Parts: sequence; C-alpha cells; structure tokens
Amino acid sequence: MTLRTLITSATLGALVLLTGCAGAPKQNPVVDEAQILYDQIKNDPAVARSASTQLRSARKNLEEAQALLEDDADTSSVEHRAYLALRHAEIAREQGLRSELEAEVANAEERRKQLELQRKELELAQKQSELQRSAEEAEALRRRMEAMQAEQTERGMVLTLGDVLFDVGKADLKPAAERTIDRLAEFMRAYPERRVLIEGYTDSTGDEGFNQRLSENRAGSVRDALAANGVSPGRIDTRGFGEAYPKASNDNASGRQQNRRVEIVISDEQGNIQTR
Amino acid sequence: MNAYRTLRPAAFALGCTVVLAGCAGPGPRPDSELLSAASAIEQAEASQARQYEPVLLNQAQNKIADARELLDREEHDRARRLLHQAEVDAQLAGARSETAKARQAVDEINRNIESLRTQMNEAAQ
Repeated sequence: MTLRTLITSATLGALVLLTGCAGAPKQNPVVDEAQILYDQIKNDPAVARSASTQLRSARKNLEEAQALLEDDADTSSVEHRAYLALRHAEIAREQGLRSELEAEVANAEERRKQLELQRKELELAQKQSELQRSAEEAEALRRRMEAMQAEQTERGMVLTLGDVLFDVGKADLKPAAERTIDRLAEFMRAYPERRVLIEGYTDSTGDEGFNQRLSENRAGSVRDALAANGVSPGRIDTRGFGEAYPKASNDNASGRQQNRRVEIVISDEQGNIQTR
Repeated sequence: MNAYRTLRPAAFALGCTVVLAGCAGPGPRPDSELLSAASAIEQAEASQARQYEPVLLNQAQNKIADARELLDREEHDRARRLLHQAEVDAQLAGARSETAKARQAVDEINRNIESLRTQMNEAAQ
C-alpha cells in the first residue's frame, strides 16, 4: 500500500458515488427539446429584436445543461438547467410573436386611419352631390312653376285660372285653358308625391246658391281635365267656396273679374295642403 | 504501510463525503430567489395571466408553495431549483398572456377595418 494506492481508492470511491449520483447518458430528452426550440428561434429576427435577453438566458442555460450532461452530472441537475433553457426559449418565442403582432396592429391602425379618411372624403363627395342634386331639383321645380305661372303664397304654390278660361256663367273650360292644364298634368307626372286642391270662387253678383254650385262645378271641370290628362283623381281634391274669400272688391267690374277664378293649390313633397 | 491500509476506508469515505456535498449540500437559504419568483407571479397577474394562462400560473404558484415547505426542512438547494422554475413558469404565463392580448388586438382592428370597408361599399352604392 502506497500513498498512490490510497489516492486511487479515494478517487474510486468518489467515482462510484458519482456514477450512482449521475449515471446520465449523453443524450437527454429535455436538453434535446430545449436545443430544438432554441435552434428554431435563434435566427428569428423578431426574437432577436425583442427578446435578446431571454434568448441569451436560453443559450446560457442550454450550454450549462450540455456541460453538465458531458460531465455526467446527475439527471435532475441536467434537466433542471434544460428546463430553464426551454422556458427562456419559450418566453423569447412569445415575446417575438408579441412584437410581430404589435407591428401588425400598428400597420392595421395606419390602414384604418387611411380608410377613415377615405370614408370621410366619400361622405363629403356624396353630401356635395346630394346638395347639387337637390339644388338642381329645386331649380327644375322653380322652372316648372314659372312655366305654369304659379305664385308662391303663404298656402304654398298657387296656380290661378282666370274667369276668361270659362264660359260665362258656366262650368265648362274653354280650349284656351288646355295649355295650362297640360303643364299642370306634366308637373303632376314629374312630382308624383304632390297633390292638388282645386278651389272654385265667384264674385258676389247673382244667387248665392248658384254661385256656390258654379264654383264647385268649375273646380270639378278642372279635375276632370287633369284626370283626362292622366292625373289620378285620388291626387286631386276639389272645393267650391262660392262668393267667399274675394281677392278684390266686388264693387267694380275689374275686381269682380279677379274674384271669378279657380285656384289650384299645390301640396308640399309630403302631399300636405293647407286648406282654408 | 499498515497505517495506509487502515486509512484506506477512511479515504474512501472522505471521497464520498466530498462528492455528496457537491451533489446535495444544503447551500445558502434562497431568499432572493423566493422574492424573484413572487415578483414574477405578480407581473404575470398584471398581464392577466389569471385569465389567459391559469394552469401555468397555478403551476408556478404550486412550485413556490412546495419550495416553502422544502425551506422549512432546510432543503435549500431543492427549494432553489423549484423557485427558479416557478420564476420562468410565471414569466412564460405572463408572456403568453401578452401574446394572446396582442392577438385579440389584431383581430379587433381587423374587424374594425372590415366593417369600415363594408360601410364604404354600402355607401358607394
């Protein structure tokens, strides 16, 4: 027995225990798993950009796990290091994913802003063309009214057919009224939502009952003429006012002539007419 | 020579002790590891891991609880390992929660864009 054999014995004892303590093969599934994930993410630019600390921790723990494995350290030590390496690699991967998703959100936000801008422009353009269209419509209406010689009154647009368009003391329309009736019928076709109220009036000479009937019949004549021109009778109301509501004095001839008339009141777009 | 012979078992025992110490010695108390693990749990909870990654978060918390029991038995090294694992478990739970939230944000803004497009298409007609 020499000192050398003693040392050999001590070393042997240590080795026996080390083998019992470690005994790990040079391959370990947890180390392999960590290695595979690390290899997957190490060249990922998003991970490099946003998770360099975690990536470094993953590599450090992986290298330690591999060194322990090489040194035949016990399996639990190796796997502990490998577990930490795997977790750091997983965290790095999540952080990389997150940064890519956040970049996607930022891009989408930019796209959304542009769309929002486009939508506003579109809305503005539509509003302008709507305004232009309604201005054009108003202008067309004005021209038609003008053509019919309708006047704007507090009851709306009113078209007046003078006494000269009727036979004296009768309800029949003279042929001269045709032009006015045609224009009114055309107007009614162009604005199907509008209605008319046809009102007959007389002067104060003669029998009141006769005047009442005359005013009703003259209004009826105008309705029939419109209906003959294709305007639905459902859109036409008639009333006779007789001597009521004179426009001028009944004391002189010219006043009386103004009072003998038929007024055609045109409704608003909703078909409403202000009745007397 | 005889002296060496009698010393041999003692030397063998010495070798064993040295290795045993390296393998499972008590080491210092891992108090800072305990703090780090607890703070990682807090951060994960701030990232709403309770909602998005409850299983992994529980796993981390169980490891801390187990580590506390080991500390009571003065098994410092085993406790230290558990605390290290709890810390990375909690960090991963937080990171996955953040990813999930970012994914939701992407979905939400894409839905916004889709509905804007639909609105514009309808308006254009």
